[in-house]
Amino acid sequence: MAADDTMEPLERLLNLVGLLLETPVPLTFEQIRETLEAYRSDNLDSAKRKFERDKDILREYGVPLEMAGTDAWDVEQGYRIRKDRYYLPEISFTPEEVTALFVAAQSASEETAATRGVRKLLYGADGGLLVGAGSGPLIAGPDARGDRVLAAADAASAHRRIGFGYRTSQGTVSERLVDAYGVVYRGGHWYLVGLDGEREAMRAFRLSRFTTEVADLGEGSAPPEGFRAIDHVEAGPWQPGGEDRAAIAFAPAAAVLAEGAFPGARRTGERPDGRVVLEIPAADEHALAGLVLQYGPDAEVVEPASLRDEVIRRLEAVAGG
Amino acid sequence: MAEGRRRSATTAERLGRMLVIVPYLVQHPGTSLDAASALFGVPAAQLRRDLDLLFLSGLPPYGPGDLIDVDVDEDGCVWIAMADHFARPLRLTRQEALAVTVRATELLATPGVPEAPALASALAKLRVALGADTLGDLAGIAGAEAGGAPPHLEALRQATDGHRRVRIEYVAASTGERSSRTIEPESVFASAGHWYAAAWDVDVDGERLFRIDRIAATEATDVVFEPRGLEGATRPLYTPTADDTAVRLLLRPPARWVAEYYATTDVRVREDGSVEATFPARRTGWIARLLLRLAPDAEPIEPPELADEVRELARQALAVYAG
Repeated sequence: MAADDTMEPLERLLNLVGLLLETPVPLTFEQIRETLEAYRSDNLDSAKRKFERDKDILREYGVPLEMAGTDAWDVEQGYRIRKDRYYLPEISFTPEEVTALFVAAQSASEETAATRGVRKLLYGADGGLLVGAGSGPLIAGPDARGDRVLAAADAASAHRRIGFGYRTSQGTVSERLVDAYGVVYRGGHWYLVGLDGEREAMRAFRLSRFTTEVADLGEGSAPPEGFRAIDHVEAGPWQPGGEDRAAIAFAPAAAVLAEGAFPGARRTGERPDGRVVLEIPAADEHALAGLVLQYGPDAEVVEPASLRDEVIRRLEAVAGG
Repeated sequence: MAEGRRRSATTAERLGRMLVIVPYLVQHPGTSLDAASALFGVPAAQLRRDLDLLFLSGLPPYGPGDLIDVDVDEDGCVWIAMADHFARPLRLTRQEALAVTVRATELLATPGVPEAPALASALAKLRVALGADTLGDLAGIAGAEAGGAPPHLEALRQATDGHRRVRIEYVAASTGERSSRTIEPESVFASAGHWYAAAWDVDVDGERLFRIDRIAATEATDVVFEPRGLEGATRPLYTPTADDTAVRLLLRPPARWVAEYYATTDVRVREDGSVEATFPARRTGWIARLLLRLAPDAEPIEPPELADEVRELARQALAVYAG
């Protein structure tokens, strides 16, 4: 073993983890000090401080260090690491599953909790297959910071009540108190869904509009029976809201853009003038009119007449007399 | 004191790493340092140093026969014995398990990810193994399915993986014009619900980002290219350049979302709740179309000619309806 004063903390910690994992009975600090040379070189007080720091490091990395009575009478408290709480349970992943997890963990930022988590799952996998799979991130980060998404997911999965500052799309900022029920990812954005305490109603909050960190305010409530977080996050205005469909004739190039922009769009034909007719789900005509206007002369509403009229009216207002 | 804390953070990271890498090396005798380094994102030299320390640790009474046996052979392959207590990794923490779930949810809600079925089943196994004690109630963490994958995604993937040039018909959103391009795609990735290809555009001899749902047709070629290391998913989707025109808009409350949706600078909130913001833009055409959509809740401040452009656009559109 290395001389005491040059012993690296990592070596001491590895020994400590091994000792507490393998011990049949909880060990008091005095017993640990007797066994591990690293704590003997200092006087008792500084050895204790060193041990306290080491315990913090172990806990930071999720090592389940616990205290328990050293004998049946609980006269003295000792430390141990229970194997069933330390070791990852056996999970038999297929090679495809491990690859998929590895790909999922590829993140835009260098080291995240997801990367660390997935690395723990690799130990039974054939690493040779994976090295090629790590060629780069598959999706860019969402619009909200990763730690904020994680804080919201943490609160929702534990049914906590949280507080945060929130800016609405109209720009008003206010403090919100919410019983967190779920987090939903839709169209590249993360939303928190929960019971808004003041308004006593279910609301969805876009995480990128939070103006403060998430504050934990204690135990919240359980979501109602049959709750589905996803039902509370509004789809775009052109999302299927019913049976309503609009028919819009696009210039050929614009039709390619529109097919990408309107989920559920379907080509229904081509007109003699070369325009491509797309059938588009239309729940909110006012919002849809705006989206159609963005195509300028490259889009013409065929039906319904109400939508056609609104677009013409708005164009006339801009074109002037 | 601050220095002491920083040093202990490094030690903590190294410990966390060893508790995960050692089980892998125990399960896979003879893994090369380089492979382990790539797999776990640790520089090989650092890994080598940490393994040397592992060699000095073990179990009581720490006699020569109680220490972990680490051997790195001439070929740089690692052999570990006497490390039964490190043969399996540490459990995932709640934070790690949630982070994996969140990340996987994003991928599963992105249409066109080939790994999706395997990822879904891996996630289900992970949930069962870790249980509600670790994970809590995950029913509320969900992704919304978003339409289908763009039709030419697979063709772009193949060209990217095989380093083959590909010809595409591309529709530019800023002008609505369709053009034929020959590109060398280096990375295919999704961002905010859309798929992109980062590519070298051979015709203009420059780096371009293409949104794959705006590709109208593709034609594969056998021309192999040498990747230039273009940035993929970590890049900003819009890079301002010196040629940009500064467009300044007035956005009334119903149109304020525009200022946060696009890249803007110099955002100023007026007393009545309206917002002024500057949009760097290579062309003003798309902004004129956006203003047509937003009218009367938005109007241009700079450049003033933009108002005429919007009016002209409205007249052209009305002509379509008149015809």
